Amino acid sequence: MRDQMWTSLGDKIEPPWAPEREDAVRAEIARRTARRRMMARAAVAVAVAVGSTGMIAVGGFALVRWQSAVPVAAQSVSGASTVANAPAAGDARETVTVTRLSSDTVLAPLPDRAGRGFALRAGAARFSVPHDPDRPFVVAAGDVTIEDLGTTFTVNYLAADRLKIAVEEGRVRVRAEGTDTEVPAGATLEVPVSPAVEGPRTEQRPTGVAAAWRPLAERGQYEEARRALRKAGPSAVRDDTADLLLAADAARLSGHPTEAVPYLDRVLRGHARDPRASLAAFTLGRVLLDELGRPSEAVDAFALARSSGGPLAEDALAREVEALSRAGEITRSREQALLYRRLYPNGRRAKAVARFGGLD
Amino acid sequence: MSPKPHLRLAGPPPELVAGGPVDFNELFARYGRYVARLASRLLGSGDTDVDDVVQDVFLLASRRLPTIVDMIQARGWLATVTTRLVARRLRRRRFRALFLSSSASRRGQEAPAPGATAEERAMLRRLYEVLESLPTPERLAWSLRYLEGEPLDLVAAACGCSLATAKRRVSAAKKVIDEVFGDA
Repeated sequence: MRDQMWTSLGDKIEPPWAPEREDAVRAEIARRTARRRMMARAAVAVAVAVGSTGMIAVGGFALVRWQSAVPVAAQSVSGASTVANAPAAGDARETVTVTRLSSDTVLAPLPDRAGRGFALRAGAARFSVPHDPDRPFVVAAGDVTIEDLGTTFTVNYLAADRLKIAVEEGRVRVRAEGTDTEVPAGATLEVPVSPAVEGPRTEQRPTGVAAAWRPLAERGQYEEARRALRKAGPSAVRDDTADLLLAADAARLSGHPTEAVPYLDRVLRGHARDPRASLAAFTLGRVLLDELGRPSEAVDAFALARSSGGPLAEDALAREVEALSRAGEITRSREQALLYRRLYPNGRRAKAVARFGGLD
Repeated sequence: MSPKPHLRLAGPPPELVAGGPVDFNELFARYGRYVARLASRLLGSGDTDVDDVVQDVFLLASRRLPTIVDMIQARGWLATVTTRLVARRLRRRRFRALFLSSSASRRGQEAPAPGATAEERAMLRRLYEVLESLPTPERLAWSLRYLEGEPLDLVAAACGCSLATAKRRVSAAKKVIDEVFGDA
């Protein structure tokens, strides 16, 4: 009996796995993979350079023994070594390398830029970027945009309203307060920055304290994020799915599920075609059923979540059965349980569905 | 306790078996959440630790893709790797706890259970306190068996031990937990 209780408790342990978090983890994996490749190439390049230097030195030594034109052979040693290194270094620069420079760095890939753009929300990061004129690499930090012109550079929040850009190689173009400034290698530039953060050419851009809740929520500091959100007012949340889901997370995961409902509702009303709408519907169902005790409304939310199919459909139908049962709609609950059994004969939720649908 | 329905027991859907080599993006899309959930249940936390484990697991997966034959095998393999990486992390955490007070070492760590009631959350907190006191192999075996609901053969595979050892570990941990929660 108690064993079953542990399993049921275990089922409730569910880390929030929003698309933004998934993207961040995926970006970090890509970064670490790129770094491993770069280090492996560097190791190979060093080995090749050492090996070729050794071989040429041996060859040069042999030439010294056999010929009298010694200086010519000696010059070719350094030339060969340089050529051997050049392609390896070139290969390494084909990859965008992003390094977080502090533990509080909050960095997220910009959507639709295929790895050629990041939003820096806090802390500092170093970017090493091969220039591609067709696909410029962009870093958005608040209302400042940094565009690479073939370079390695660092972006650092000195304070919440002050940004420092240091260029190690190449050049970058910094767009701040409507002015473009090109920063060459070896130079640094400090610019004022509004913590309002989003993509480089975002239409709706909340300013100042209004966006402070976002990095907090992304770091999982939901209570702080909710407080910041309440202070900033409703306009601090943009009308896009990602922002609305994040605001809903901040509300429900800080223990204020009622406040999550309007955000999720806005996703369903305003962004019904977004692929994440089913996630919003499912989350709404869970909040209504598990946290607010409103099973009748939860039924509709779960029905909506499963209507678009997808990976949540099975769970949504199972929870719909549970919600119907808790709402006292025994007949419908049984009907939906039978539907579940037909659609998912080996379903993960079969046991719970049978129990709530009265099929036991 | 009867085990939760499991892909291995239920018979794999054909689309998971057919289709040739496993694609990394597909693997991540299908099992990213699963690995995060498993790591969270084993660690008893939900934030940075879990993300780190997910990254480590899939980084390893990206290098071993050619050896993963299909999506069914992938799930078991991911469970095993996750368990081992969590074991390493728990040992490190335990080592750090030697220099910190127990409350400081667990600060900010709480299993995320959004659907749980306040009472259930309190019970989970107490459970993880008890689990912290158990040897890591016993803790993991019990968590896989009861929190994750895996059958004993998979517990043994994930822990890299024999079935008999897995049973012994689960039973040892269960005895302590039953004792603590016996009259709860």
